[in-house]
Amino acid sequence: MSVSLSPAAAVSQAVPPARERYRALFDAQTLPAGALGAWRSAALEHFLATGFPTQREEAWKYTNLRRLEARGFGRSDTPAAPHSSTALDESGWIAAAGIRTVLLNGRWAPQLSGTSPQPPGVTVLALGQWLEHAPEQAAEFLQRHAPRHSDAAAAFQHLNQAFMGDGVVIELADDTICDLPLYLVHHWSVPALMSHPRIIVRAGRNSRCTLIEHYLGKAGDGFTNTVTTIDAARGAQLVHYRIQEEAPQAFHIGHTHVNLAADVSYTQYELAFGATLSRVATHVNLDGRGATATLSGLIMPGGNQHLDTFTCIEHAAGHTTSRELYRGIADGRGRAVFRGKVIVRPDAQHIDAQQSTRNLLLSPNAEIDTRPELEIYANDVKCSHGATTGQLDATALFYLRSRGLSEAEARAILIRAFAEGFVSQLQHAPVAHYLEQQLARRFANLTEVA
Amino acid sequence: MLTITDLQVRAGDKQILNGINLTVQPGEVHAIMGPNGSGKSTLVQVLAGREGYQVTQGSVSLHGRDLLELAPEERARAGVFLAFQYPVEIPGVNNVYLLKAGLNAIRKHRGQPELDAFEFLSLIKDKMKLMQMDESFLSRGVNEGFSGGEKKRNEILQMAVLEPQLALLDETDSGLDIDALRVVAKGVNSLRSPQRAIVMVTHYQRLLDYIEPDHVHVLSAGRIVKSGDKALARELERRGYDWTVAA
Repeated sequence: MSVSLSPAAAVSQAVPPARERYRALFDAQTLPAGALGAWRSAALEHFLATGFPTQREEAWKYTNLRRLEARGFGRSDTPAAPHSSTALDESGWIAAAGIRTVLLNGRWAPQLSGTSPQPPGVTVLALGQWLEHAPEQAAEFLQRHAPRHSDAAAAFQHLNQAFMGDGVVIELADDTICDLPLYLVHHWSVPALMSHPRIIVRAGRNSRCTLIEHYLGKAGDGFTNTVTTIDAARGAQLVHYRIQEEAPQAFHIGHTHVNLAADVSYTQYELAFGATLSRVATHVNLDGRGATATLSGLIMPGGNQHLDTFTCIEHAAGHTTSRELYRGIADGRGRAVFRGKVIVRPDAQHIDAQQSTRNLLLSPNAEIDTRPELEIYANDVKCSHGATTGQLDATALFYLRSRGLSEAEARAILIRAFAEGFVSQLQHAPVAHYLEQQLARRFANLTEVA
Repeated sequence: MLTITDLQVRAGDKQILNGINLTVQPGEVHAIMGPNGSGKSTLVQVLAGREGYQVTQGSVSLHGRDLLELAPEERARAGVFLAFQYPVEIPGVNNVYLLKAGLNAIRKHRGQPELDAFEFLSLIKDKMKLMQMDESFLSRGVNEGFSGGEKKRNEILQMAVLEPQLALLDETDSGLDIDALRVVAKGVNSLRSPQRAIVMVTHYQRLLDYIEPDHVHVLSAGRIVKSGDKALARELERRGYDWTVAA
């Protein structure tokens, strides 16, 4: 295969205008002195050198970022003005979801966050506050807990690092069992801004908790670029919900890096039904014997939405297990992409990895691309994957209609039945209930269109 | 009540029904018999509105109304019910949900008030007793993991709940052992009424020992080649279908 240099690259080292825009935004802010500022400047330079990934990169093959690149966003670096809660539509938040931390337009909003005393052993810290009051200490911590940069994620992680304004740090002491979920709300109330939150979770030995990340807001066309790192020490049990429900014009990029020590159980539920363009990537490193990762998701693009889910599960240690079960429902001109990579490192024996995707296409113009990838360097390994894509079953539709249900009702019932395979596994009742409501609303809209 | 006139039906480029003429009056039970591939199942599916068939000629009217121009759900609301030969499994949809949604859609169409959950439950409990069905079945997915007999009993339960004017039974006896057949037949017989007509399609005479028809028709190559009373079914059993074709 021959490689040709593009003329632009050969002629000039000038940074393309889209990247210049980020430089100008970066230069316009007051950078903290010392290590933190240097760390963030270095990240910007990395980003400027590479720019956004292109479809020539294998991991981005199905997702074109030109629309995101063409857009300019403002920085959201002033802490959110005190909001009376009536000025903000909180109806989309999950009621009774636990210890709440709200990032409003990317900044911690103490007046909206839960103020009740944190349970013993649980520390929830607003990153922005920490960066402001103890920048050197925070910088040292951030560098220590920075995710391993993979090529596919590098550009957005650099961007996140360069523009990092706020985020959340959660620590669970050893043996802490947190019954209340830790609920993080990222809410847009102002349009056309960008937010680069960083979320860091450190779960001590044998600790247990449920984490809910919820991205939403009705204020249009923001750009959310999150980086979440989760480190779980031996024997910890984590359940992690990630609900992407941004406004229909919004852009959402999320990278989650999970590192699991021995005997950790990590369960992730991904829900993606917002944003015009979203890419949610999860990288799980099974680093200790007995670690188990269970990832499942429900991806529902409609309209012109493009929702990309990328997972990479790395079996670095022997006797580790991974399960992936994703469901996609695409309507209108919606497009879902699911790429699931499984890597089994040399000497990681007795591996059990299963991956399955089931997809439902509701319109002739909808599209779902699903692609498993296996890289196996050990020999005592049980890996399987399966994918199905289909339409609503014509016989089942006829059956329901022959019992008196309208075509629209029959379709809605079958779609909900398909989604039920995901919903039925959700262990946290308020989230399950919330999702049921969202699905009902979504399908009610859909039946009107039909 | 039901009048079928010169009904001709194709599926793809295959002609299946070649001019069916049949009149069914309220209160009557008609059995349509015939060898495999004679068009029995096609006939009842076309009456219920199944897609994938083209009616090339003829007409069907129910109470004077053109049935063929109605969508399947409109036919159901007009009083047509098809008990499927192969009831569909729909995991994730409760039996009780389907029954209640169907009944309320039909009641709404009839101008009757919709039933709430309590009214519906008390209605269905009696009918379930009749079909010897356990209450746990209500919360199960529609036909999900049901045995062949349970599926057929469920079809008749649906019929009992929806109270159609024209019930079409498609090979309701197939795959049933004798005990299950008795339960199903008892259910069907309990639904016989002067206002309701039943058209049942079957390959075997056995079903007719349990549900006695007023009229028996033999279908062959898409035509009714012989009609008679229940004695015709016995004769068929004795002499085989070849006899009717030759006749």
